[in-house]
Amino acid sequence: MFGKGLVKGLNVTWKEFWSKKFTVQYPDEQHTKPPRFHGKFQLNSDACIACGLCANACPNGVIKIESEKVNKKKYLTKYVMNIQYCLFCGMCVEACNKGALRFTQEHDMSQYFYKDIPLVFVDREAPKPDPETENKEKDDDKSKKAGKAPEKEGQ
Amino acid sequence: MLETIFIDIANWIRNLLGSAGVPALWNDTVMMLVKLTAIIVFILINALWLVYMERKVAGYMQARIGPNRVGPKGLLQTTADIGKLISKEIIIPKNVDKILFLLAPVLIFVPPLTIFSVIPFGKNMMAIDLNIGLFFVFAIASLSTLIFWIGGWSSYNKYSLLGSMRVISQMVSYELPMMLALLGVIMIVGSLNLSEIILAQESAWFIISQPIAFLIFFIAAVAECNRVPFDLMEGESEIIAGPYTEYSGMGFAMFFLAEYANIMIASAMTTVLFLGGWLAPFGLTFIPSWLWFFVKMYVVIFVFMWLRWTYPRVRIDQLLGFGWKVLVPLSLANIFVTGIGMYIYRALGW
Repeated sequence: MFGKGLVKGLNVTWKEFWSKKFTVQYPDEQHTKPPRFHGKFQLNSDACIACGLCANACPNGVIKIESEKVNKKKYLTKYVMNIQYCLFCGMCVEACNKGALRFTQEHDMSQYFYKDIPLVFVDREAPKPDPETENKEKDDDKSKKAGKAPEKEGQ
Repeated sequence: MLETIFIDIANWIRNLLGSAGVPALWNDTVMMLVKLTAIIVFILINALWLVYMERKVAGYMQARIGPNRVGPKGLLQTTADIGKLISKEIIIPKNVDKILFLLAPVLIFVPPLTIFSVIPFGKNMMAIDLNIGLFFVFAIASLSTLIFWIGGWSSYNKYSLLGSMRVISQMVSYELPMMLALLGVIMIVGSLNLSEIILAQESAWFIISQPIAFLIFFIAAVAECNRVPFDLMEGESEIIAGPYTEYSGMGFAMFFLAEYANIMIASAMTTVLFLGGWLAPFGLTFIPSWLWFFVKMYVVIFVFMWLRWTYPRVRIDQLLGFGWKVLVPLSLANIFVTGIGMYIYRALGW
């Protein structure tokens, strides 16, 4: 019969009108993200040994690392990710031996100003070498005959 | 009390002016201005609300929730949009007919405003009680075509011209079945006065006694308002936005609001002619008549929106073919059947 399809179509939209809405009210509620979501990075600066593997693994040269030697150890003084060039491939996270660099679930990295875009994880002065520790380390080294590296602080 | 609240207010103003010693002529002039202002405010507030309602209905039919950020439940969305459009520049492209180009968005609101002066919003609630109300409404409603044509022609743009030519061809081919469909109603009532048409529906609405006429009238009304599925005039996939293409800022907003004013007129006329106007159904007279009119009008508007978010656009040849080959013969047949029916009724002596 002529017009049957029209009525059918109206019926579809009528049902849809009363159906549950799929919209997620974004800032208030969010979709659940998969556990391995490639979101914002997180650096555990205490675990980082400033080895530079992540910077080497990065295809885009996003990661900039600066370190100083303190008491015969590399001390991380600066860790900056120019996130505007990042493609979130996850090579850096895979490369990290210490599990210091991780992905988080957070995805909102937009900023009002361009200068705020880079993620600055560490930007600090290296501590002055403590002569006492230095001597002690030297003693340790002598006793262990330069076998093992001294245990890291905070680990 | 609630039933006659607007009439009471009008009488109160009239008496106030009368007691202040204002001459009768000035008294009438002031009353007319008050009524006109009330109608303008009514149209503008409704147009703002309808844009919001349209977006909400669209959202709900697409499993979304529509605007919900500006103001409580997104209610101030249209106000914000209009505020934005007012603050924008009206760009006048090179080579346009400047006077006509700027005149069209100003004039576009004239036909709807004029028509609303004769529409009965409730019992004894019309600005002007015109004997040929129905004729007046459709005579003025056709004028808006001319303004679309002015806008399209003066824009100096092929899409505008195409769009406004489509408006005219659409109007010419759908005005005819609309009028012919109404003839059935007019034959039964025997009057062009809108109040008399409403009062004639006391026992049964015309949607029951004239279902074919109602269908034809409603389809033609959708086409006259240039709404989906007959929105060929602005078919954005083909001709950008038709006559609106070159308009920006408030010029565009005026066309946009006028579209909703036209929808209000179409649904108000549907209510008056086929849904019993301000008459209360089932004897529910404790609800004031103007509220009944308003509710019925909004039900029809909802159907308009429902259609819009259900159907795709038709082609221009389908549109004209449907108008001339289906609606016109059908409306002529309706007149014929109505005439025979009336003759039989009279012969039976009812």
